[in-house]
Amino acid sequence: MTLPRIPLRSISRDELPVFNKHVCPPTFGGGPIDPLTPTRRIARNLLVNLDVELQDGTKVPVWILEDPDDPVGGRVFPSKTIRTVEGDIVHARVGVKTNTHTIHWHGIEPTPMNDGVGKHSFEISGNFVYQFATNQAGTFLYHCHKNTALHFELGLYGAFIVDPKKPDAPEARGVPDPPYPDGGPGFVRAFNPPDHVMKYDVESLWVPDDFDTRWHELGHDAFMQKCDPANPTAAENFTQDGILHDFRPDIFILSGEAKRKDDTTPFEKAAIRCKVGQTVLLRFIDATYTITEIRLGLPAQIIAEDGYPFGVPPRGQYSFPIDLPAGQPMRMTAAMRGDAFIRPTTPGRFPCTVDFFHWISGKKLYTATTFIDVE
Amino acid sequence: MKISRRDFIRYGMTGLVVAAGTTALGRMITPRRNGNGTAIVVRLAITEAMVEMVDHTFIYHWTFEDLGNPAHLPQLPGPLIQAIEGDPIELSITNRLPDVHGFRIPGVPGETGTGILVEPGQTKTIGFLAPEGGTYMYLDHLNEPVNRVLGLHGPMVVLPRTGNTPYSRPTPNVQKLFDDLGTAPHFPGEPWKAERTRIWVFHSKDPRFNAMAERGEKINAAVFREEFLPRYFTINGESGAYASHNHHTTPEGRIGQPHLIRIMDTGMNADSPHIHGNHVYLLARRDTTGDLNIPRNVLLVDTFTDEVAQCMDWLLPFIRPPDIPGDETIPLRKLVKDELALTLGGVGQSPIMFPMHGHNEQSQSAAGGNYPQGMVTGWIITGDLDGVDFPPSSPEEKGGPPMPHDQD
Ligand SMILES: [Cu+2]
Ligand SMILES: [Cu+2]
Repeated sequence: MTLPRIPLRSISRDELPVFNKHVCPPTFGGGPIDPLTPTRRIARNLLVNLDVELQDGTKVPVWILEDPDDPVGGRVFPSKTIRTVEGDIVHARVGVKTNTHTIHWHGIEPTPMNDGVGKHSFEISGNFVYQFATNQAGTFLYHCHKNTALHFELGLYGAFIVDPKKPDAPEARGVPDPPYPDGGPGFVRAFNPPDHVMKYDVESLWVPDDFDTRWHELGHDAFMQKCDPANPTAAENFTQDGILHDFRPDIFILSGEAKRKDDTTPFEKAAIRCKVGQTVLLRFIDATYTITEIRLGLPAQIIAEDGYPFGVPPRGQYSFPIDLPAGQPMRMTAAMRGDAFIRPTTPGRFPCTVDFFHWISGKKLYTATTFIDVE
Repeated sequence: MKISRRDFIRYGMTGLVVAAGTTALGRMITPRRNGNGTAIVVRLAITEAMVEMVDHTFIYHWTFEDLGNPAHLPQLPGPLIQAIEGDPIELSITNRLPDVHGFRIPGVPGETGTGILVEPGQTKTIGFLAPEGGTYMYLDHLNEPVNRVLGLHGPMVVLPRTGNTPYSRPTPNVQKLFDDLGTAPHFPGEPWKAERTRIWVFHSKDPRFNAMAERGEKINAAVFREEFLPRYFTINGESGAYASHNHHTTPEGRIGQPHLIRIMDTGMNADSPHIHGNHVYLLARRDTTGDLNIPRNVLLVDTFTDEVAQCMDWLLPFIRPPDIPGDETIPLRKLVKDELALTLGGVGQSPIMFPMHGHNEQSQSAAGGNYPQGMVTGWIITGDLDGVDFPPSSPEEKGGPPMPHDQD
């Protein structure tokens, strides 16, 4: 007996271009389109090869985006943090050194040509100037959006922080003008009326990530579909032997520090150093392909998710900050962000953990330990 | 607002029945009345079919079929059941497969919610009143998760009898959000309308287990959980370009026309769905026991953790993308007219389209690669707040040739 079939719908001639562009976007350069006068200019080139070194000296190759204007600190993993100020009109000059790439400013919401998704615009060959505003102060990220399964995993990402303007208040004395220095002090958009900005003394950025080292041997276009504008859906265009569905992490990372899965020593670089009475702003960016649970050794207050502060009108008025007791998990997945206040009241070393769980089986793969060190 | 059946919604069209010529029958169950005219009659069969993947591989599935549809073809995911709270529903399940199968709608009171069994060749009928407003997943709960993941799942949507939200008991912040749509200065435009809804049924499949089912082999649920490695990822039965360019899946409207998206994960993997262009409000979540959690704290996010076998509603506000620089009083058709006029790669930049995709980016693959032919779709802004649609792009191509992909 032949079984009934549920076929794919048939594609009309008119649909061939969108089906082709879905896998084979055109190239483009120059820009910006519909230009305005910028208030801030930033630049990134990609990609640059770098090695992440493990404790035993083994080197794992990663790809990063470099800041060409910073010869000293412009080549780091994760890629160098971008900071702009709320209300900025940004011109982001992106240079592509090899093949084609894009940058997506994740959580920032401009038009499609400035959003960095090839299938809805183009991929950069050479240079392009993206133009967007940063109208919402908060924690975002930027990453390449080509063959993203591979390019994001290989390290083509970095933090993107938008700072609110400095309030005209006594507590602002001694705080430099925004963009605030990495590590603090600074101000963040948060729930307290009437200004909805709050001061922090110390800023910390935790970026959990995980590597499947098999993936780090692959080439730029690994396992991509062939381009065939006349017949973009043809079966022979598809590769059948890829591994981009099969993620088996064997290295775990916290904010650029990498350890093998059998290495349970603590992540000292991510440890937060602060004093009793200070306000710590901890920003998380999940760069994993697993499920993570973060447990803090001190009580915290979550004040924002995905760049948008809780309880700030008008569009945040339907939400409010969330208390996170010490030891209670905060569950996250890829590309989510969270901002938390920690206000230590006693000195000590308070252990914190990030658990990594498999994205299918849910099994725990690794526990990363770090600390809040309070003087 | 009084809810009426005109508010019923569109739903993905994969596996649709294409009659001779071009007429396409949709996949939803048209509410029919029984002989007394008192109940909505739904007649489903549990059957089997070969389903075509994005790379043209055919994979064996267990599927539902709407026996009320004269075309008599299986569908994956199962047909949409829609009702208004309190509607009597008479639902029959006919099992055409050689083993016993189950049927359950978590969240519905009584045996419908706890599950019934249907022996091979038998038909069972259950009657229930459409429960409180919300998104429901129906499924074969036997040998969980095997029978669900091999294809026996589908959506049910119940609208509340009154009110302007999708829920019968909205929390104060959910109520305020829906009251503000189209009335508060930060949500110019229109209120939510029930027909501005899309359903996104996420699914993932490991063909090795489908092949076992095809051979009639028993599948051990513990082994299935342990060894499942998804090779295809779908939304409403489609992947990649098919799911991204299906008007029954992509929300479409002008700025100020908010849409509700009813999401359910019927597959085996957690994902991290991420939407571009607008943040979304996280509304009700239904866990695997069927409990509906309507949040008091309504978060505005661009990415969220989607858990296996759960339902989650999003409100996509359809505001003007907030980081387009320039004077907000100038319509986009004027402010970004050069962009809208461009044609790149044979596709105009007008109307505006943004993607939604899994950020556990493994879910963007098909057959291990072929990015982005996995769990991806999008949404389309067709025009400005003042009711004027964006003009079409110039047909003149401005993009350069795509880079050919080096094959590894
Ligand atoms: Cu790239
Ligand atoms: Cu992203």
